[in-house]
Amino acid sequence: MLVPSACKNTLPNTLESTLILNQKNAVITGCLRGIGRETLALFAEQGANVWACAQAADEEFESFCGELAAKHGGWVKPIYFDLTDNDAIKGAMRSIQMDKKPVDCLVNVAGLTRDALVHMTTMDQLRQVFDVNLFAQVLITQYLTKLMVRQKRGCVINVASISGLDGNAGQLSYSASKAALIGVTKTLSRELGELGIRVNAVAPGVIDTEMNAIVPRDILASRVSRTSLGRLGGPREVAGTIAFLASDLSEYMTGQVIRIDGGMN
Amino acid sequence: MTQRLLDGKNALITGCTRGIGKSMLEEFARNGANVWAHARQLTEEFEARCAALSSQHNVNITPLCFDLINKDDMKSAVKLLQKSENRINVLVNNAGITYNALHQLTAEASLREQMEVNFIAPFLLTQHIVKLMLRHGGGSVVNVASSAALDGNPGRSAYGASKAALLCATRALSREVGLQGVRANVIAPGVTQTDMIGSMTDTVVNETVAGTDLRRIGLPRDIAGVAVYLASDLSGYVTGQVLRVDGGM
Repeated sequence: MLVPSACKNTLPNTLESTLILNQKNAVITGCLRGIGRETLALFAEQGANVWACAQAADEEFESFCGELAAKHGGWVKPIYFDLTDNDAIKGAMRSIQMDKKPVDCLVNVAGLTRDALVHMTTMDQLRQVFDVNLFAQVLITQYLTKLMVRQKRGCVINVASISGLDGNAGQLSYSASKAALIGVTKTLSRELGELGIRVNAVAPGVIDTEMNAIVPRDILASRVSRTSLGRLGGPREVAGTIAFLASDLSEYMTGQVIRIDGGMN
Repeated sequence: MTQRLLDGKNALITGCTRGIGKSMLEEFARNGANVWAHARQLTEEFEARCAALSSQHNVNITPLCFDLINKDDMKSAVKLLQKSENRINVLVNNAGITYNALHQLTAEASLREQMEVNFIAPFLLTQHIVKLMLRHGGGSVVNVASSAALDGNPGRSAYGASKAALLCATRALSREVGLQGVRANVIAPGVTQTDMIGSMTDTVVNETVAGTDLRRIGLPRDIAGVAVYLASDLSGYVTGQVLRVDGGM
């Protein structure tokens, strides 16, 4: 029988930290707003140190990062790059590597929507969405999982969407890119599991973010009415599951997609 | 001390004597929950363990002993729990049994027993407890099924079916009581290092483990961690879901 090396009792006793991400170092993309920002905040609260990635420098964001670090005692380092610029991505990844700290988890949050009906979707829109929602994520993931393989541990969490699982009228490019990201998640899990790296995805439903602020109210209301909980989700509720997947609580979960959708019917 | 994930939560966990339930009891206590720890019989050893966990983690761990297939025993246990000041927020239906047998060789008595313990008992207990949760404004039900409920493994037709029934009931429940703030989810463990795998041959266990992405067997603690998450507010917008905890199969 194969017995895992983790079999020895490594449970900390009660006086040790009960923070679920204590001392873990995380790279999070899309930290400027919405789910990314809440994920950054929750990670810091739960004891993680974060390379907080955002598109462009922003004073408010800088001070937000500074406050989080001061309040929770870890470090939060802003990293800026544009997801459509491969050289910028590589440069940013190199700068993370230069910090010479283990990278325990990567959270790919950044993404964009270009909503349009099937016959109105242009190839440019499709490419634009895939550039940011898929190609950039893969490039970042390739770079950082290489470091994780050397460390023999790590985890990746991709933020997909229920659109990628169920489809959604008006979201051809977005749903296709998120479905592709789920495929990437499962394949990475198959390839990297043996090397000690877990890869999972979350599929948020209707979440109270700017992305949904542009959705017409009646459509939003009808989607919310299809949830068991009968309400929108908060970005912090998505962050909660991401934190779980980054923590040791999910040590035996890989290749999974967790729906955070309030129970969609 | 910093806020723990389950501080202020009161949970009932069934089948705390061994295996996954034992680990759940420890993890829930460590994360700050007060627990009614169900076991079929009260033993000195179990009582001592509950007391030790209580003082170690500064929580209340109370043994609650009854036979899950005895409806009257279940009712009086629920009454006892109802009288407590601690309002119940979390129910973990963990207790279960398994008899492996090929479909064509499964005895009727074994089929009925597995349905009784793995499906009917948790169903009835959930009815009792959800009634209390609805009065208190919400809660979280965590049911432990099995990857066998999803995959239909050879030799596990009765066990898998009993867990599939539990899974379906959980989903339906989640849709019925979501608006009242009760969430219900399912954990589907893969091959896990407990007494239960004694019913599988070593070859089957080794082959299954070699087929997982992580190339290792699951530990009770791995399942307990997911139960902590589903019981906690981290999963506040997650309901009606089945989480495979199987190392990637």
